[in-house]
Formats: sequence, C-alpha cells, structure tokens
Amino acid sequence: MEAIFDWIAATPINSFVLDSAWTWPTLETLHFIGLCLLMGALLVMDLRLIGFERAIPLKAVHSLMPLAIGGFVINLVTGVLFVFGDPHRYGINLAFQLKMLLVLLAGLNFWLYYAKVEPRLATLGPTDATPPLAKTVGAVSLVVWFGVLAFGRLIPYIGTG
Amino acid sequence: MGIFVWLEQTWLADWVRVSVLGYPLMITCHAIGMAVMVGLASVVGLRLLGAFRSLPYSALDRFFAIAWLGFGVNLLSGIGLFASQATSYAVNGVFLTKLAFVFLGAIAVAYLQAAAVRSPVADAAPPSASVRAVAAASLIFWTGAIVMGRLTAYL
Repeated sequence: MEAIFDWIAATPINSFVLDSAWTWPTLETLHFIGLCLLMGALLVMDLRLIGFERAIPLKAVHSLMPLAIGGFVINLVTGVLFVFGDPHRYGINLAFQLKMLLVLLAGLNFWLYYAKVEPRLATLGPTDATPPLAKTVGAVSLVVWFGVLAFGRLIPYIGTG
Repeated sequence: MGIFVWLEQTWLADWVRVSVLGYPLMITCHAIGMAVMVGLASVVGLRLLGAFRSLPYSALDRFFAIAWLGFGVNLLSGIGLFASQATSYAVNGVFLTKLAFVFLGAIAVAYLQAAAVRSPVADAAPPSASVRAVAAASLIFWTGAIVMGRLTAYL
C-alpha cells in the first residue's frame, strides 16, 4: 500500500491539488455543494419509495435521478482529487475507510434498485403504494448515504493514525 | 462584546472546545442539517425554475417540514460552534457574510413555501416571475452560505 501512496504523491495531480492554496478549499466547497444536490434528490426519491408522500407520481420522482447522479459525480471527482492530494493521510484513516465501505454498500443498493425495484415500479400506477423491497431499498439508501456524509465529516477526528 | 465573552465561557462553549466528542459531534450535525436544508431547497428552487416538471408543487409541500428540521439542527449545532469561539466569530467578516447568506436563504425558502407551493397554483402553469426570481436568489444565497462557511475555516 505504501508504494501506491508514494506513487500517487508523485503524480502531477498531487501537485495540481497542493500547489495553489486555493485549490483545496475550492474542492471542499464543490464537495459540499455536490453532497447537498445528491442528498436533496435522494431525500425526495427515497422518502417516496418508503411511502412518505404518495401524491408524488413515481415517474416524477425518478426525474430527480440526474440531479442525484450529477451531485455524486461532482463528489467523485473532487473526492478522488483529495485522495491524490494527500494519499498517506486518507490511506490510513479509519473514518475514510468506513466511508468508502458505505459508498460501496450504497452502490450495491443502487444496483438492487435498478435490477429489482425499478422494473416493479414501472408496472404500478403513479400514486400506488410501493412494494416492501422498494421501501427497504429506500430506507437503506438514506441510512447509508447519511452515514457516508457523517464519516466523511469525521475524517479529521476518527482514526487519524 | 460582553455577551460574546460570556458565551465563550458557558459550559456549552467549553464542551465544544475541549471535549473529545463536542466539536466532531457539532460539526457532523452541521453537515447533515446543511445537506437536508440546502438539498431540499435546491430541489424546490430548481423545480420552480423549470426542472423536473412532472413533480407537482403541492406534493413538495411536506418536504418543507423536513427542510426546516435540517435548518433547526443547524441553528442548534451552529450556536454550539459559534459559542466555542464567539469573540472571534463575532468580528469575522467571512463568517458574518455567511450568516447574512443563511438569513437571506431562509427567508427565500419561507417565501417559496408560502407563495409557490402552498398557494393553489396549477401544476402545469409556470410560476410567476417573482417566484422564479426568489427561487434563483435562494439557490445563490445557499451557494454563498456554503462558500463563505467553508472559507470561515481558512480565513
């Protein structure tokens, strides 16, 4: 692992992130904006899946997916740049490792949504109740993503090595 | 200035400043509340500006309660974080600018809730020019709050 961190630290991306004092705060600000877009879209989509507001047509709620994916992509790009900027710090950080584990879980949950839940929703009327699997996937998504947010914010404080 | 000196000496300020749990707990709650308030304000703002047209305004109404819950979390955690360094935050221009953006953003969201979402607007009709202007302003205010909030940690 140490060799990988050293290699990352020697890349031009590392110097891009570190050379200007403004780059890191700018990336952080973008990371915050991206998480707001992702979580805002997820709150509406997942709460509809759980059954909180059935007046929202199921198809309409799906129109928020580009906002969620857009927010995620902003955070993927800025997040990768953080790791390239300070690989040794993130590599050994417990909160970061737990955060990545939860991102992986969120990814599996997202796959479950597309493979099993979405096809079922397509057969339902716009304001129908959702099946139990849809409720579970929605609840897991919210819990896991808020966990990602919490562990991300705790990176400076937990398991810093 | 006296009140800020007093605030900085309260048990709350002391707990946030000194204890292992205080600051990380407050700052994490502050990030979660931000995601809820700004995230939902973004969905509502973008909807009123013409995105996600199939989402009925009326159905968004119940999400405002959740947005205000997020705002409440940030008001409380924000008081804790402010108290811990009250005398320096009180004279920090970057922080005070953030506070102004948060204040304006909250007013904009309250206006959108009353004027656009709760009033019986036909879901197909585009919102009035003033509602669209406030929706755009809301997105700008919250972006400004995030930018200045993050900069508070650096400047």
